[in-house]
Amino acid sequence: MAWPWLALLAVFGAVRLSKGAAVIDAYALLSRPFWPGTAQSDWLRSAQDLDRQVRLQQLEADNRRLRGLLELDRAAGSAVRGAPVISRQAGGWWQQLVIGRGALQGVRSGDAVLAPGGLLGRVASVTPTTATVLLLTDSSSRIGVWVGRVRHHGLLVGVGTSRPVLRFIERDVGARPGDLVTTSPASTLLPPNLTIGVIQRVNEQAVPAPEAVVQLSAPVHAVDWVQVRRP
Amino acid sequence: MSSLARRRWTLATALLVPVLALAAPAALQLDGVPPSWAVLWLLPWALADGPLSGAAAGLALALVLDGLHPGPLSQAPALGLLGWWWGRLGRQAPLIQRSFNLGLLALLGAAALGASLWLQQIWQGVGTAAALHTLLAQTLITALLAPMLCSLQLLLWRRLSPGNRGRTLQADR
Repeated sequence: MAWPWLALLAVFGAVRLSKGAAVIDAYALLSRPFWPGTAQSDWLRSAQDLDRQVRLQQLEADNRRLRGLLELDRAAGSAVRGAPVISRQAGGWWQQLVIGRGALQGVRSGDAVLAPGGLLGRVASVTPTTATVLLLTDSSSRIGVWVGRVRHHGLLVGVGTSRPVLRFIERDVGARPGDLVTTSPASTLLPPNLTIGVIQRVNEQAVPAPEAVVQLSAPVHAVDWVQVRRP
Repeated sequence: MSSLARRRWTLATALLVPVLALAAPAALQLDGVPPSWAVLWLLPWALADGPLSGAAAGLALALVLDGLHPGPLSQAPALGLLGWWWGRLGRQAPLIQRSFNLGLLALLGAAALGASLWLQQIWQGVGTAAALHTLLAQTLITALLAPMLCSLQLLLWRRLSPGNRGRTLQADR
């Protein structure tokens, strides 16, 4: 009567050949109530966020110290003011915002206007209690920008659509879609290192120098409050 | 001064134009482009009050609107000429009051205003293809709103100054 033993051996052989699939699946079934839940990944993510925030603060502090050593900062004008958006004309012939802070609150012509996500534009004119902001998308907007990966300057020109055009100054810049566009690290007209957007498309054949279409990172249609920052 | 402009509050209604231009109600936009509120106010005013009043109102309105926007573009030439033209049309027989006619005049006016702004952009070297989109969208939304808004205003202005054409308003057929 050896066949029961042979059957048992065959079962063990099957377990061996399937690399213990049945055993592992059974273990998974039994241990399911004790599996790590989504809470664990949330903890990890929040820990990662905290870590990034701390590193960001340290890098900013370090950056301020180094800029101070290089005398690039002008401490008097580094204040940041919040301002409500009281008129938004993001389409049409003029692309502008009117914000509810003006000369009485210390806003000056030429100040940078930021939203969560990056730079929106510059203050074009001020009244005692309001300021008009020329958006980067307006066809009369021109600002100098910096593409950090390829270390090249360019001119960001508004063309009346939601995506301005970045005109490089030299040929063979090597920029490609996905490159981050910021204000120049050595800028004195605008606060340095502000995020502007991401290159979406590059036209290497443009004359006299390559051009790129930039997707802006700050959502102008969604912001109700902006920050006004002096360079 | 014309009979309509002599009533001060009627002129004060022009203040609605810059207020609406600044408020830019999102529900009344076509693909993010607002209508030309100046055209929608100026058309019935000029038709009811004559060429001189129309041109003066157009110029005054354009100066206020130009002040609200940064940049060198100006609406003054187009709005002044449109006010003059519509004022002359209002003086001629037959009486312009049908909704379709008002819509057509507003369409032509908004297209002329947009073309003048586009030409100025090209002249200044900042003209782009996006201007054509703005021109078309603004012309369409202005012409769509004109029959409703302009006919109501025209009715009001002609009731207030029935003597401007020497005859009273006839019902819109």
